[in-house]
Amino acid sequence: MINSHDPRMNRLGLADAAAPAAAKPALDQFETYEVFHQKKENAPFTYVGPVHAPEADVAFLFAKEQFSRRFACTGLWVVPTSAITVTPYVGDQESAYDALPPGAVWTGLEPADTTEAQSAAYSAGEEDYDIFHLKKRGKAQVHVGKVRAASGAEALQVAKAVFGEQRPVVNVWAIRSADILRSDDDDRDIWASTPEKKYREAISYKVQDRIDRFKNEQPQP
Amino acid sequence: MYGSASTHDLPTNAPTGLENEDPTLLATFEARIAKGEKIEPTDWMPALYRKQLTRMIEQHAHSEIIGSLPEGTWITRAPGFRRKMAQMAKVQDEVGHAQLLYSAAETLGKTREEMLTDLINGKSKYSNVFNYPTPTWADSNVISWLIDAGAIVNQLANAKGSYGPYCRALDRICAEEAFHLKYGHDAVVHLATGTKIQREMMQAALNRWWPAIMTFFGPSDKMSVHTEILMRWKVKMASNDECRNQFLDMYVPKIWEIGLTVPDEKLAKNEATGQWEFTEPDWEDFKRVINGDGPCNAERIAVRRAAEENGAWVRRALNASKTERKYVQPLA
Repeated sequence: MINSHDPRMNRLGLADAAAPAAAKPALDQFETYEVFHQKKENAPFTYVGPVHAPEADVAFLFAKEQFSRRFACTGLWVVPTSAITVTPYVGDQESAYDALPPGAVWTGLEPADTTEAQSAAYSAGEEDYDIFHLKKRGKAQVHVGKVRAASGAEALQVAKAVFGEQRPVVNVWAIRSADILRSDDDDRDIWASTPEKKYREAISYKVQDRIDRFKNEQPQP
Repeated sequence: MYGSASTHDLPTNAPTGLENEDPTLLATFEARIAKGEKIEPTDWMPALYRKQLTRMIEQHAHSEIIGSLPEGTWITRAPGFRRKMAQMAKVQDEVGHAQLLYSAAETLGKTREEMLTDLINGKSKYSNVFNYPTPTWADSNVISWLIDAGAIVNQLANAKGSYGPYCRALDRICAEEAFHLKYGHDAVVHLATGTKIQREMMQAALNRWWPAIMTFFGPSDKMSVHTEILMRWKVKMASNDECRNQFLDMYVPKIWEIGLTVPDEKLAKNEATGQWEFTEPDWEDFKRVINGDGPCNAERIAVRRAAEENGAWVRRALNASKTERKYVQPLA
């Protein structure tokens, strides 16, 4: 039996040498969701990293804990990794749109579109896609806007026509808007308590006075 | 918290395998790094780069999750409500760091499940310092301050490395570490400048931990072919000795100024060379402990394994309704 300094460990009654654990299936601990956060009101949503979760609601909870626990946040989006269409990565001075294989030529709806063209698009089986750009390798994908398309691959082609002039674009992600679980504006107060826990801030720990006082009390050599 | 690029490097005589790589792809890869651009998951990369980074990030992740145990043990016994809350927040940060790092490692092709299985089977290593116990509150404080400080030296260096997902994780981790360092310093100063009993407890804890702290950055690097390649590829950003020297430079004066002593009579800075001189750590003992024969190895693994096994039914229940699913690597 394990004999620990911690009485709680001893209560677990853990065996000294257990048999080797068997390998688990790759999805034993769930699939991944990619998470985007909004640092402050009106800022674009920015990629922060993945979480492992059995479903979107749980992914949202994990993401809130993981990515908004310590820093200001006003919104969170989570998306199953498998629902994201990505371009290859290109160099820091290039455009990932140039690396896209030539696709169907897109006939041109601007992002702020007329209702008539919009309903035409929807009746043609098109849906909204959110588009994200990576500006520099090692940084994070940032939301740039929406396009309408019938698939992720087509959304990248449409995005090329709408956002293709921007430089540099190292990598592009397209996500069907319906696949994103988004924090609700009405639930904003869930972000309000983050700054309350001052004991988690480096600035709350001021020791210099105590050190100085201690030094002054020492007998001078 | 606890990244160390060097504790368990490849054996120096292992083949690099570079002769099997496509020279054109290799040249493009190296040119990208030389330009200061980061490598992203879907880029071509040499097998050695993938292998060494996976090993390094995975060990870093394990160190976070195992490293939270010796401090976690003190949450319920931390003196006062505020310290309990802060200790809990710190431990939660460390576990969060493990999650960030497992995901970063996962982008290189090894699943999180494989990593966790290798951890509880003793196949993957973690920072050796966590194979030692925290018998008093002061021991926990030494970890919070000085082990975190050592880790920050490592992590700030690694955050300038070449692999995009690791850099993104480290940026976030370093931002959170700032609190750990101040919190740890505050706790140590409190005891060191307190009553006689408090001072003695702090000094005793520091004496217990000092040998482990001196091994934290690993043995002196032998300049092998591997070291040279890994530095060129910005996998390894600073030598073990450079990190150790930087740590001593920053923290020994802070230890001395609060009236504590370091249990090494040889410890002194050579002002001519700028290098600290010290008693060479016992690397044989280090090897013995890292290979499983330390005071807490069995406990650390057993606790991790119990968590894994006790949670199995929850994972099964959550996955029960799922029909066919295909494993997809996280993207970045």
